Amino acid sequence: MSKVVGIDLGTTNSLVAFAAGGTPEVIADESGDTLLPSIVSVDEQHTFHVGREAQRRLLTDPTRTVYSVKRFMGRGFEDVQDEQRWFPFKVSGEAGDVVHIHLGETELTPPEISACVLRELKRRAEQFFMKAGDFDPEVAAAVITVPAYFNDAQRTATRDAGRLAGLEVLRIINEPTAACLAYGLDKRRQGTIAVYDLGGGTFDISILKVEDGVFQVLSTNGDTHLGGDDIDRVLVEIVAADLGIDPATQAEAVQAVRKAVIQAKWDLSDFDETDIELDRVPGSDRSYRRHITRSEFESLIAPIVARTLQPCRRAIEDAGLTAQQVDAVVLVGGSTRTPIVRREVEKLFGRAPYTDLNPDEIVAIGAAVQADILVSGRREMLLLDVTPLSLGIETMGGIVSKIILRNSTIPASGSEMFTSFVDNQTAVDIHILQGEREMAADNRSLGRFKLRGIPPMPAGLPRIQVRFQIDANGILSVSAHELRTGVEQAIEVKPSYGMLLESFEHAQEDVNARMLIEVRNEAETILAATEKTLRRPDFAEIAAARLAPGEVGAIHAAVAEVKAVMTQDDRDVIQARSTALNDATKHLAEVMMNWTVQAALAGRSADDVAAQGR
Amino acid sequence: MQSDTSAIPIQPCKHCGTQAPVDVHFCPRCDRILTLGRHGDYFTFFGLHRRLRVDPRDLEQRFRTLSRQFHPDYFHNSGTTERLASLERSSYLNDAFRTLRDPLARLEYLLKLEGFAPKEARDASAQVPAALLEEVFALNEELEAAQDMRLEGAPAGQIAARLDAARTPIEANLAEHERQLDVLMTAHDAQFDAGDVEGRHATLASMRTLLLERTYLTNLLATVHRELGGGEPVQS
Repeated sequence: MSKVVGIDLGTTNSLVAFAAGGTPEVIADESGDTLLPSIVSVDEQHTFHVGREAQRRLLTDPTRTVYSVKRFMGRGFEDVQDEQRWFPFKVSGEAGDVVHIHLGETELTPPEISACVLRELKRRAEQFFMKAGDFDPEVAAAVITVPAYFNDAQRTATRDAGRLAGLEVLRIINEPTAACLAYGLDKRRQGTIAVYDLGGGTFDISILKVEDGVFQVLSTNGDTHLGGDDIDRVLVEIVAADLGIDPATQAEAVQAVRKAVIQAKWDLSDFDETDIELDRVPGSDRSYRRHITRSEFESLIAPIVARTLQPCRRAIEDAGLTAQQVDAVVLVGGSTRTPIVRREVEKLFGRAPYTDLNPDEIVAIGAAVQADILVSGRREMLLLDVTPLSLGIETMGGIVSKIILRNSTIPASGSEMFTSFVDNQTAVDIHILQGEREMAADNRSLGRFKLRGIPPMPAGLPRIQVRFQIDANGILSVSAHELRTGVEQAIEVKPSYGMLLESFEHAQEDVNARMLIEVRNEAETILAATEKTLRRPDFAEIAAARLAPGEVGAIHAAVAEVKAVMTQDDRDVIQARSTALNDATKHLAEVMMNWTVQAALAGRSADDVAAQGR
Repeated sequence: MQSDTSAIPIQPCKHCGTQAPVDVHFCPRCDRILTLGRHGDYFTFFGLHRRLRVDPRDLEQRFRTLSRQFHPDYFHNSGTTERLASLERSSYLNDAFRTLRDPLARLEYLLKLEGFAPKEARDASAQVPAALLEEVFALNEELEAAQDMRLEGAPAGQIAARLDAARTPIEANLAEHERQLDVLMTAHDAQFDAGDVEGRHATLASMRTLLLERTYLTNLLATVHRELGGGEPVQS
């Protein structure tokens, strides 16, 4: 059976883990690294780089490199305009449309970029299984984690990314919930657990009740645009101002600064003071050094840390608890290594948080455990998660009528009756919204659809039932029917942008481009080998002795045929002609092999023979 | 006990066709999860009688047990019909648990089931319950007085003191309503156990009236709160 892995698709780093027989393990790459930087870079030759190599290219070729793409998942262009200034890559899109990211000539959507990261993790896992001698190393499916506070559009975008990477997404689970699963498994603890998850770009707080192996989320809250990136940016802005860097034109300098401030941020988790240091500021001959103390750093980032506390208080209140009733606090995400974060969390809950589990790996481990539950059907453990945001529809006057309240255990369903406002109205517009605000305009629009075919009736007579169903992934589907006549229309809610289809089309283009490159490379190899043989000083001698009449002419013709199409974009033609050349030179290859062997037997080394050909 | 003469609704198992009672979750013959029927209710789903006193520990235990039986996690490799049945049953279970664990939501649900549903909450607040006329009248006068004081530039503390005084009798009345509801809930369960249908219906009718009044009182308090705070409560 092919494998099902757990994947933590993070803002900064991504990981893949696998639970064999209930023992979860994070899978490292060939060099022993478990973290894959969630960075993708496309070079001038259209080759995609993912991970460490892409991270290096962030310093040398920043405009062709994308990081923190998770912040763009499921978001419209208008949502991200104000923050794109500090990113090296170009972002475009029309209002209400999905974001497009430009890496040189290549234009990609956030799910496509995430798919590159997922593909790399899939490859990593498959190599791991292959090395372990597994008879079926294929990874066909995965459980992928998302921030608990992700809305429907962001979840759907993540699921699309998985599909684009060739993975069946068995389940989308929430990161804090996955962490709690791993923690609970590790500590065998019961009771009320708070998971504080501050990652690279997102913040979540979840309160869970663990009893009899059931991990029930009581409440969740958060901010999908708050994390380590924001801490970095505070520091980058200070240094950029010192150096007079313009982010619009000096992407390389910004990335060098960013690397330096991240190093300083890490240093300050362990030391009271450090230097932000650049040996050379790109675009100048200057070096840069700025001393910074921990207390200076903490006063700079205090407003960011403070922004996490309000969601915590709301989650505690929504769970019907007080902070003192929480039995344990678990920290997740790299940003929780910052001492001020730990102090603030401790102050809020009145107890020291657990820090002995690796905050980078715990989410991937939980995802692997959930994957194992799904595959094995074992029932000792069960995750019961909630929907983070209320769902509703717009009614008269732009007011939202809520149908499923936030923190409802999922799967959840709800329905509401609607009617017409005008005589003989045959269609009703239904506008689906997610969020807590009273007015439709203040909430996230998930989609609009029209219920058509309502038989003409006086106003107020039709009875239209709209039914919402949120599945265990937290993804919504909506159906509506008119009860008097039974007219029914079911729809899968897609984000207001026409995202899904477009992404898949792009994916096909990418695959084509990649295959074209592969075919060309193959043709080039055959071409080079053939020409090398033809150039040998003893070729005339060999041909006269061993080749059939006309064979040399046929080979020359086949070479010309291949050369003629090499620069074209038609993969099939290149493939056909390189196959023809391969066939035409098959006999020649055998002859050359024998010639070499005989030459060796005659006392000359094969190296000498080969040397003559050079 | 309830009369046992009523017919038990049944539905066929989509897999083997066996007729199964609607309040069982799995087919008695082939053991497959059953499609959710349109009959049953939250109480029967949990295997509970229609009583208003529910032991929260017991309810939670049942919730966890049923979750372990229905959750879509465990039907991942099953056919479409079973997967859908698991999704429907899990959703229904979660909705039912949310309703039954909250005493007021539970009461409202039971009233609806028994045909004593108060009208829409919005209508209820539009019409002043007869028993509260006097109180509403008095409070409106106080609210107007407070507004006049504000216009005349009276100190905020003075206005707050006046509103606080106006709030006290309403809060007392609300507490009294809750006490009476509590007594009636106990009475209701005793009547249920004794099979006293008529008495039980009378109790349900009284509870409906009390519940409507309670909603009205809560809304009045919210009005005073807004006056005091000078704005809407913070959106959370």
